[in-house]
Amino acid sequence: MSYQDQPQTKRASLLSWLDRRYPIVSTWNEHVGEYYAPKNFNFWYFFGSLALLVLVNQFITGIWLTMSYKPSAAEAFNSIEYIMRDVEWGWLIRYMHSTGASAFFIVIYLHMMRGLLYGSYKEPRELVWILGMFLFLVLMAEAFMGYLLPWGQMSYWGAQVIISLFGAIPVIGPDLALWVRGDFVISDATLNRFFALHVIALPLVLIILVFMHIVALHKVGSNNPDGVEIKKYKNEAGLPIDGIPFHPYYSVKDSFGAVFFMIPFALIVFYWPEGGGFFLEPPNFEPANPLKTPEHIAPVWYFTPYYAILRAVPDKFLGVVAMGAAIAVLFAMPWLDRCKVKSIRYRGTSFKLLLTMFVVSFVVLGYLGTQPATPELTKLAQIFTVLYFAFFLVLPFTSVHEQTKPVPERVH
Amino acid sequence: MSATDKNTGVDLKRRKILTGATGVVGAAGATFLAVPFVSSWQPSEKAKAAGAPVDIDLQALQPGQMLTVSWRGKPVWVVRRTPEMLDKLASLDGQLRDPASQESIQPGYCQNATRAVNPEYLVVVGICTHLGCAPLYRPAIGSPDVGADWQGGFFCPCHGSRFDLAGRVFQSVPAPTNLEIPPHRFINDHLVRIGEDPQQEGVA
Amino acid sequence: MKKIIWILSFSASLLALPFAAQAAGGPGIELEPAHNNLRHADSLQRGAVLFSNYCMACHSAKYMRYNRIAKDIGWSDEQVVSQMAHGLNKVVDEVQTRMLPGVAMDVLGTEPPDLSLMARLKGTDYIYTFLRAYHQDENGNWDNTVLKGTSMPNVLEGIQRHASSEDYAQAARDIANFLEYVGEPAKMDRMDLGWKVIAFLLVLLLLTYVLKKEYWRDIKH
Repeated sequence: MSYQDQPQTKRASLLSWLDRRYPIVSTWNEHVGEYYAPKNFNFWYFFGSLALLVLVNQFITGIWLTMSYKPSAAEAFNSIEYIMRDVEWGWLIRYMHSTGASAFFIVIYLHMMRGLLYGSYKEPRELVWILGMFLFLVLMAEAFMGYLLPWGQMSYWGAQVIISLFGAIPVIGPDLALWVRGDFVISDATLNRFFALHVIALPLVLIILVFMHIVALHKVGSNNPDGVEIKKYKNEAGLPIDGIPFHPYYSVKDSFGAVFFMIPFALIVFYWPEGGGFFLEPPNFEPANPLKTPEHIAPVWYFTPYYAILRAVPDKFLGVVAMGAAIAVLFAMPWLDRCKVKSIRYRGTSFKLLLTMFVVSFVVLGYLGTQPATPELTKLAQIFTVLYFAFFLVLPFTSVHEQTKPVPERVH
Repeated sequence: MSATDKNTGVDLKRRKILTGATGVVGAAGATFLAVPFVSSWQPSEKAKAAGAPVDIDLQALQPGQMLTVSWRGKPVWVVRRTPEMLDKLASLDGQLRDPASQESIQPGYCQNATRAVNPEYLVVVGICTHLGCAPLYRPAIGSPDVGADWQGGFFCPCHGSRFDLAGRVFQSVPAPTNLEIPPHRFINDHLVRIGEDPQQEGVA
Repeated sequence: MKKIIWILSFSASLLALPFAAQAAGGPGIELEPAHNNLRHADSLQRGAVLFSNYCMACHSAKYMRYNRIAKDIGWSDEQVVSQMAHGLNKVVDEVQTRMLPGVAMDVLGTEPPDLSLMARLKGTDYIYTFLRAYHQDENGNWDNTVLKGTSMPNVLEGIQRHASSEDYAQAARDIANFLEYVGEPAKMDRMDLGWKVIAFLLVLLLLTYVLKKEYWRDIKH
């Protein structure tokens, strides 16, 4: 509802005082009260607002954790146990943060999946997709640096392995790895700078990118499961016929989605915080020991698809390149997919098959990344790495000639 | 464009009640959620362990002597008062600002004439109630730095506040109230525990 | 309604995913299930005494304090000090080993690890099995099938020899139980709180669902 309709109450006069000094009404109207979203969003459209919810959770619990955490090699591990045992409710705040990290990636992967299903990356939303991809990259950096902070065995050796990847870059590699660590191994200096990046620098970048992601989206308008533009048909008032104001319709719907999401989240926080060793890994309950490697090092589950790709390539440098490419190639989606039809509902069999193959490869690679690299599993990882990339290589050719179904003029 | 006036078939009252109910329950949830974050600022178990009660053995303390211990980072004095010292307390009442300790901080069981559980031992926090300096123990009558009519007590060198041997503040000095008495109890005749009330478990 | 069922089954499958992955892994040694129960205060109390008598000669549980143990497993401050520390420690002291610094290296050739987080690192089944996996060869040398060549002696040997096999198993179970508690002292608190939070969320879920339905009556499909 817009504020102009209201009678001149005290609240309204305060509002107009404010509005003459800050564009509060127009900002609200543009992004909430009169932001027209398609009326046919389905459950895939919850994950954008859920990502924002998890971001807020991470910010608040993260700020509270910094109040008791000590970013030094000598004290970090102890300070986590101090939070878990001595700080009142510290265990809850810490579990909300650690569960939030995994929840973030579940939500973001599903949010990206939505984009692939309904062609949300296509014209005119290329920039929304690209900004989202930058968000994903920064989020991965944020998660990786946060994972070092508990200073357990897995934190330490995971970081050791990933930073060593920089060493694979020709010529400058070894010096680069040394520079990132600030020492000859992962050390107090590394921990301290990762802490600074994790709690200040990257969160700032995340906020700016989230802001831009939403501004870009609201400029072009939301896509929908039918992949048709609601701006094509407008009423006398110039409003899209198939659009509804975000508030109250999607604010109440997203509130329902948020509470729905909180239930499994609370179940994990209270009854399954280790997530079967995937959310909190057992080796991380042992303090970092630079002289003793754990038997089996695996990154946290949300990195395992890329880790499996890294290991599948038998050359160190090319492995790093393949891993980087696996993420980088997603940036090019708006141009690799040349089909004019957006939604999978009206797309041809070739796209449906390719996308299924891609999703299966991603999940299988994710599983393989958690397992020790036996020759058989490596062979399997190689097959699925090829399939993963095949999606992006084949799509530009098939999408031009795709047998699509007729797209409706208006949303269902 | 308002959601409520667009459609004539809408039950506005029902909508209002539902919005209100969701808002109230949601706000209650937010309040519950705030509890852990607010209470996490309370002293942690580690801080409480560091501030745990302190036991003081009084066996070596001679009549008229004072000893100092640290409790929760503050100096706590124990003075073993002689019968003569105790006898003089009542005669000072007229010169004191708060002789009956009405305005001062002490446990209920120490709000009495000698400000003590066991009159022989004064247990007091050694911080001037004026601006937090540490007063000096001047038990001798007529101590040169305090004055010829001095009957023994505590003297704060920072701003000249004076207290008697029950930690009670004199009139016309800057300190507003008597010295604070911490919770304490006697485990036996010569062992006192600072930080715990008598006849009670746990930290006071 | 169909939509909701679909969403539910989707979330269920998401939750099941890590389970499937977990079942595929696993350690190489067959571990016996400990069947311990954190709700059994008497088992925790016995475990605490056994821990003090059989473990603390070498090991610490340095992230715990005696008064926290007392509060959580149903002892008074006086009891915990008499049961676990022979009256030698204050209730606010951390649970440290009785071994003097440096002695372990000379006697055992290694530093016995702190046991605060052992149950979270290895699991209670591991502790239970490990404690009972000592055996003697024909020359009288002890070894452990779970951790070959361990420097740790068979501390429960006395119980193993002189008590019934049930009591021996129970002793190992009690220690494992106590160590699970020590690994995460807030565990029982969180389990007691969790269902209340979820019950509250279900009420809020119902309200937001009805509210959404109410507003969305405006929308013609």
